[in-house]
Amino acid sequence: MQIDIEPYIEGVQAGNRLLLARTITLIESTLPAHQQAARSIVDRLLPKTGNSVRLGITGVPGAGKSTFIESFGTMLTSMGHKVAVLAIDPSSTRSGGSILGDKTRMEKLSVDPNAFIRPSPSSGNLGGVARKTREVMLACEAAGFDVIIIETVGVGQSETTVASMVDFFMVLMIAGAGDELQGIKKGVLEVADTIVINKADGDNVLRAESAQKEYQAALHLLMPQSPHWNPPVLTCSSLKSTGLDNIWQTILDHRNKLTACGELAEKRRSQTLDWMSFLVNEGLRDWFYSLDQVKNTLPLLRKRVEAEQISPTAAAAELLSILEQEKN
Amino acid sequence: MSVHPEKEKWEAAASKLMKGKSPDVLNWKTPEGITVKPLYTAEDLEGLDATNTLPGFAPYVRGPMATMYAGRPWTIRQYAGFSTAKESNEFYRKNLAAGQKGLSVAFDLATHRGYDSDHPRVAGDIGKAGVAIDSVEDMKILFDGIPLDEMSVSMTMNGAVIPILAGYIVAAEEQGVKHEQLQGTIQNDILKEYLTRNTYIYPPEPSMRIISDIMSFCSKEMPKYNTISISGYHMMEAGANSVLQTAFTLADGVEYVRAALKSGMDVDTFAPRLSFFFGIGMNFFMDIAMLRAARLLWHRLMSQFNPKNPKSSMLRTHCQTSGWSLTEQDPYNNVIRTTLEAMSAVLGGTQSLHTNSFDEAIGLPTDFSARIARNTQIIIQEESQVCKVVDPLGGSYYIESLTQAIVDEAQKIIDEVEELGGMAKAIESGMPKMRVEESAARKQARIDQGLDVIVGVNKYKLANEKIDFEVREVPATVRDEQVARLKEIKASRNPIAVEKALTDLTNAAKNGGNLLEAALPAVRARATLGEISDAMESVFGRFTATTRCISGAYASEYSDKNKEVIDAIRKRCDNFLEKTGRRPRMLVTKMGQDGHDRGIKVIASSYADLGFDVDISPMFQTPAEAAKMAVENDVHIVGASSLAAGHKTLVPALIEELKKLGADDIIVVAGGVIPPGDYDYLYDKGVKAVFGPGTPIPESADKTLQLIEKKYIQ
Repeated sequence: MQIDIEPYIEGVQAGNRLLLARTITLIESTLPAHQQAARSIVDRLLPKTGNSVRLGITGVPGAGKSTFIESFGTMLTSMGHKVAVLAIDPSSTRSGGSILGDKTRMEKLSVDPNAFIRPSPSSGNLGGVARKTREVMLACEAAGFDVIIIETVGVGQSETTVASMVDFFMVLMIAGAGDELQGIKKGVLEVADTIVINKADGDNVLRAESAQKEYQAALHLLMPQSPHWNPPVLTCSSLKSTGLDNIWQTILDHRNKLTACGELAEKRRSQTLDWMSFLVNEGLRDWFYSLDQVKNTLPLLRKRVEAEQISPTAAAAELLSILEQEKN
Repeated sequence: MSVHPEKEKWEAAASKLMKGKSPDVLNWKTPEGITVKPLYTAEDLEGLDATNTLPGFAPYVRGPMATMYAGRPWTIRQYAGFSTAKESNEFYRKNLAAGQKGLSVAFDLATHRGYDSDHPRVAGDIGKAGVAIDSVEDMKILFDGIPLDEMSVSMTMNGAVIPILAGYIVAAEEQGVKHEQLQGTIQNDILKEYLTRNTYIYPPEPSMRIISDIMSFCSKEMPKYNTISISGYHMMEAGANSVLQTAFTLADGVEYVRAALKSGMDVDTFAPRLSFFFGIGMNFFMDIAMLRAARLLWHRLMSQFNPKNPKSSMLRTHCQTSGWSLTEQDPYNNVIRTTLEAMSAVLGGTQSLHTNSFDEAIGLPTDFSARIARNTQIIIQEESQVCKVVDPLGGSYYIESLTQAIVDEAQKIIDEVEELGGMAKAIESGMPKMRVEESAARKQARIDQGLDVIVGVNKYKLANEKIDFEVREVPATVRDEQVARLKEIKASRNPIAVEKALTDLTNAAKNGGNLLEAALPAVRARATLGEISDAMESVFGRFTATTRCISGAYASEYSDKNKEVIDAIRKRCDNFLEKTGRRPRMLVTKMGQDGHDRGIKVIASSYADLGFDVDISPMFQTPAEAAKMAVENDVHIVGASSLAAGHKTLVPALIEELKKLGADDIIVVAGGVIPPGDYDYLYDKGVKAVFGPGTPIPESADKTLQLIEKKYIQ
């Protein structure tokens, strides 16, 4: 089945919501024909991409990510920006199905004509969706969105993948959930460009401020990623819409500083290269595991390793030797 | 006394009847987690918290009044309202003439959410699920010819409580009735709105302040008026079992008491005016015991506030039979269901009662169905002689034991809520909502497997359903009438006076001051409900709900034997993924101001369990908003849920909006309370399937999948 990609390309560039949405569906599809079409579309859109502020947001469940994006995104559209939100939803069940409820917490933003929100089911494979998110981001840029927000839950491996495709990575926290870094792995803090303590409102303000100090101290112990940027710890209230303008200002400061010293361009370049090698690795792996001989041999080898009839090293070597045969 | 001396003999006899099995296999674990045995004896009365107490005395297990129905039967209070104030008024007057004792007003959803009838968000809601009220002029028509100094009026209002209560007070003033003569109840229970029904306007904090303001105003000006009706009914309708209903309702009550105390009131000035509202379902004995348990628990819970007046810890309640238990299929069966539920409420000792009309799963009550519903109660009161004895089941081994079990289980949940810092905090944490939704998903799974029998739905089904009675429909012209009257009012009032009164109200919202008191001048000046609501919204903001959805509960309730059905659908979803590159993706949405989201929650949760990707829209969508979401998320199908009679306008409008966006290939199906007579109309407009109440999940999922498969898999 041949897919005519021209309408998609024209539609996305004209900012047509329906065709952007359907392009995303092609990108996310597991069918090879769709993926191939998606690659061609994204390739053709490439000249129109790269002009957005790319933001990644993570945080543990309950940190208020969706509510934050609702308030923050609404502020941005009121300033004249066009905002696309890509939400990776890990809520997959044993059935493989999922519930995508992000927009219920983005009541205003979801109906905003200058916003586009697309939740994506992870189908139990966070890495897999994150891989496609990058291309989705490019499609949104080509459709004219100048701020792209990628939301991911901070409990899997997806957040480091997301961090490697955005300009600015934000970790959302709440005060009073203990000082054990709330289940967020240290690796996530290392890639954070800022930590934001959300829900700094009502009787929570003092707790938020003391959490701010604690995280600031904790961040000092980490080596900053960039010599030009010390990740600040900020507070905000999505509920009362306070502190949001300050966060946007911080993002712009970061952008200006890193643009001035050339680091932003460098970051994007190296992200692109990393992206390519990532894809090569993925492709190699997929190709390798799809080989008939691998499919046949692997289960037998696994059994033998389990039964301690062969060492794991020897088994791996035997499996990889299939590559030698493929070469010929 | 301990074990019955001949218990062993009974066990042997029972075992013999069951071919050698122990009678323990007859034990039944209820949805509440209570184990009910096949036989209770005097042994089961030992060690209970309260047996052999007296009605009218603490802890009130046997009833709040000494003589109960032997002295005076419960109040027959039928909840009604639809269309315009004029039509509702005629309906009320007919019912009062036919033996109804108190009024209970149902408002339409636009009114609930603080919108005037001309607001663009509410085009599909006017006069549908209740009467449309835009100003005190409508209020006056509503109570025309009904003397408010004599009639006890109950009003189900939670969001727009200030303009509605103020409207009622001013309508009475203009009838020449003084504040202190007014008697009745305003529901005013905002916490449960965040939990289940979703007809709130403002965020919790200002909403709690409004409640305290009303309590404070009424304790001075309207001493005979019940300032709140703490409601478990909507929790039950959302799927809560009887223990959850009891626990969360009483925990809400405690939260209101604390709020009033915090605002500086003395417990005995307001606690005697707190009233409750329980829903009664089809588990006959369970809900008798529930009412008894609730009274005992409330007395226990109130003791921490050291009231001096015994009435402060006396639980008085209104009850309503379950709307959810009514079926669209073979609907005359609903008369019998309602009768059983009514008996349950009566034997539990309710103070007033609403019995549903048998046609409520199909449309609004008609004169005929309202008569049957009312007569159900009159026959119990006047023909059956059940009123002659107080708490006739008191001392029953089973009922007393069950009462205690509910007390114990509910207490555990209340303790959990307390640990979270009380009900307001608990609701913020999402705990109560998750519990209710889990209970709902499990119930649905039991029904779909035939474990919970519903006659006409999953057993003894009719081959041909035929509706041979009239179905009431509210014409779309109601909106035009309301809009015309709004124009008239706005043209004839003094704009300067209105402006000043509204500014004063906004200032009161900002700087403190009693909001009910501040709203009265605005109502007198003919400010509209929407204007009054907006005057406060400008300070308080409008609340946005956080929707969470559970997963796994539906499928996990399936026994291994019945798992095949689920596995078959899962397999088809997997196959669809393989063939088309993604799972079947569905958007479930509620359009209009209807906040009853049990249906879409159960659908979302169970369909995800079956292998769909399910998107949920925010509440209160317009058709254009729902269409935008369907397009952005690029779903295969949209399921629109309607329980408030908006289907004929909202669903076709959605199809139009999808067309405008070029997405007319997205399939639209509808579900909820939709009269079978409207199905063809919807099919004509392009709806591909309609699922009425009681449709088993696997059946609707199968149909939905078929529609998608047909379109996308060649």
